[in-house]
Amino acid sequence: MTKRRQLKFTMIRSLVAICIALLVATLLILISAGGDTFQEKLQATGEALKQMLVGPLFRMSQKKGTSFEAKRLADILAAMIPTIFTGLSVCVMFSANQFNLGAEGGIMLGAFASAMTAIYLPMPAGVHAVVAVLVGGAAVALIMLLPALLKTKLNVSEMVCSLMLNYIIMYVIKFLMNTYLADKSRGQIMSYAFQETANIPPIVNNTVFSGAKLTWGFVIAILAVILCGLFMYRSRWGYTIRMIGINQDFAKYSGMKVGAVIVLAQVVGGFLAGAGGGIEMLGRYTSFSWSALPGYGWTGLTIAILAGNNPYMVPFAAFFMAYLSKGCDLMATYAKVPAQLIDIIQGVIFLFFAAEQFLSKYRQKLVVKSAKEEIARANLQKEG
Amino acid sequence: MLNFLKILATPEFFYSIIRISAPILFATLAAIVVEKAGFSNIGLEGLMMFSALAGSLVSYYTKTWYFGLLAALATGVLMSLIMGFFAFKLKTDIILVGVAVNMMGSGGTLFLCKVITNLTQGKAMASTTGLITKSLCIPDISIPLLHQIPFLGAVFSGHNLLTYLAFLFCLLTSVMLYKTPLGLNIRAVGENPNAASSVGVSVLRIKYTAMAFSGLMSGFGGAFMSMAYAQGWSLDMVSGRGFIALAAQAMGGGECLGGMLSALVFGFAQALGIKFSAIGLDSNLASPIPYAVTIIGLVIFAIVRNNKIKRQHSAAALAKSEAK
Repeated sequence: MTKRRQLKFTMIRSLVAICIALLVATLLILISAGGDTFQEKLQATGEALKQMLVGPLFRMSQKKGTSFEAKRLADILAAMIPTIFTGLSVCVMFSANQFNLGAEGGIMLGAFASAMTAIYLPMPAGVHAVVAVLVGGAAVALIMLLPALLKTKLNVSEMVCSLMLNYIIMYVIKFLMNTYLADKSRGQIMSYAFQETANIPPIVNNTVFSGAKLTWGFVIAILAVILCGLFMYRSRWGYTIRMIGINQDFAKYSGMKVGAVIVLAQVVGGFLAGAGGGIEMLGRYTSFSWSALPGYGWTGLTIAILAGNNPYMVPFAAFFMAYLSKGCDLMATYAKVPAQLIDIIQGVIFLFFAAEQFLSKYRQKLVVKSAKEEIARANLQKEG
Repeated sequence: MLNFLKILATPEFFYSIIRISAPILFATLAAIVVEKAGFSNIGLEGLMMFSALAGSLVSYYTKTWYFGLLAALATGVLMSLIMGFFAFKLKTDIILVGVAVNMMGSGGTLFLCKVITNLTQGKAMASTTGLITKSLCIPDISIPLLHQIPFLGAVFSGHNLLTYLAFLFCLLTSVMLYKTPLGLNIRAVGENPNAASSVGVSVLRIKYTAMAFSGLMSGFGGAFMSMAYAQGWSLDMVSGRGFIALAAQAMGGGECLGGMLSALVFGFAQALGIKFSAIGLDSNLASPIPYAVTIIGLVIFAIVRNNKIKRQHSAAALAKSEAK
């Protein structure tokens, strides 16, 4: 199949998958929409859908009409920061065929470790934030050694192991917070405030974006995307990781250090998740107060699937998910549809994107068409 | 320390181990059968969440617990068949199908709960705990004669109907796997689908059957969570039991008896955690115990398995050299 046809197929397939998910969403909204008659319900559904699909970028009001809203765009970009990192993390680990689902716990541990560094280790401004984020990344990289080594040495399922680790990380952090680290003068359980030196500064003056927060973390996230892309497609390690994912036996017999690289993939993935947690924590908050897993890991998983494990596609997938999530939030505010709809949409999109045989008949048609053309061209050349 | 042991040696403690193990055992049986058929269903967590919600809602609206139970079972089976459709027909990686179901099982169930019950007010967590009364839960059963025996009676009698069913199903599943044609087919498909197919077994049908079985068991597990373990459904109430079951399956060597023992080990760890918090330790310190035990259990199981393989290899090598 030609490259252009391949691209066309991928795009059509993605669009159909997204449309199906939105169709499911519409049905669910229709069921949950207020109104007594079907007509009213339909109208409420339309309103809710408009909020969800247009609302993330445009404010709609009866008086002023529809207007572009820079703050909402900044919100979406800010929401992308942690999920870009978890998306990259999953990309690297899944590329090596390692179903490590530890990004969820990883981002919480990274945020926690960074927060502790930001509170208890005084350092000059500038250095402090960098060190804190690195500590967050390193902590998770270290933890990910456990499922990785158990997998390579003992063949223990990295999936179950990393899932269990998520829970352990969450409870241990909660225990440490409750018992030792909480600022007792506050009403709820939260740590002391970060030292100002550790803050990640905003890119632009906040007033421009009417109160929105977008930090340099976003730029770092984009840099991470490029670095991760270079690592995966331009380095020996990245090549080995992808080769193991495609055919582990082949990689082994051609002399690649399979065990070491499987460990490496999970350590790199862990580092990315941890660093993302640190950046999110230092950029958005002034003290640590997470008491549950934030869910960025699962979103990261969806993003990696949407991006087809290609790091360069991660920001686009992350934007899409952040857009939808913002839309669902707005819909919950203005149209009384619970915001958790996003989980169902996410699940459905996830399923269809991961489905290999989805629209396979259409692809078959394209393949046949390409092959016929090629034969025709070859015949022409022979005659000519 | 001695005091602590005294707390543990009570019949209540053993009673709670059995009670806590039951939902894990259901999910473990689900994991065992699909694993025998040659694939793994990591969506048990999500299946249980959906079944739990369906069970508690239907029992609330119909005012009868057994309709709720039936709804939970139907939900489990139906969703597992949909999972099967995606995995077998659309060739989605079965692990990713499971992940998707788990994703929907967390927030999606809350969405459905809010929409169906209209408990959308505020940002507060919606749950059905306010709607469900004791009479809408699955009843406990007191076994005649047994409950009069001093210690054993308090441990084994008065459990929930589903608790007894869990252990009964453990036996039945074992019989199904090893004494019936269906079980033979399931194992054959798991070991060598091509060979099974060559003698006329429909691999696809067997896989769907195994999937439906795992949905049925998840349905029981979910119903247990919302209609026996707790009164009503609440967000993330399954809290990793579906994942723990995967570990129990691996630790038990993929067999029903081993799986049951592993489930009991996790039940023990969890009951221990509850006792820890009862004597004043932070519950957040006790809560990770079952998860940590899972990892340790997996490691022990892996070491034992590896040693066994090594022994077999060396025995085979020895036999070979002696033959010469």
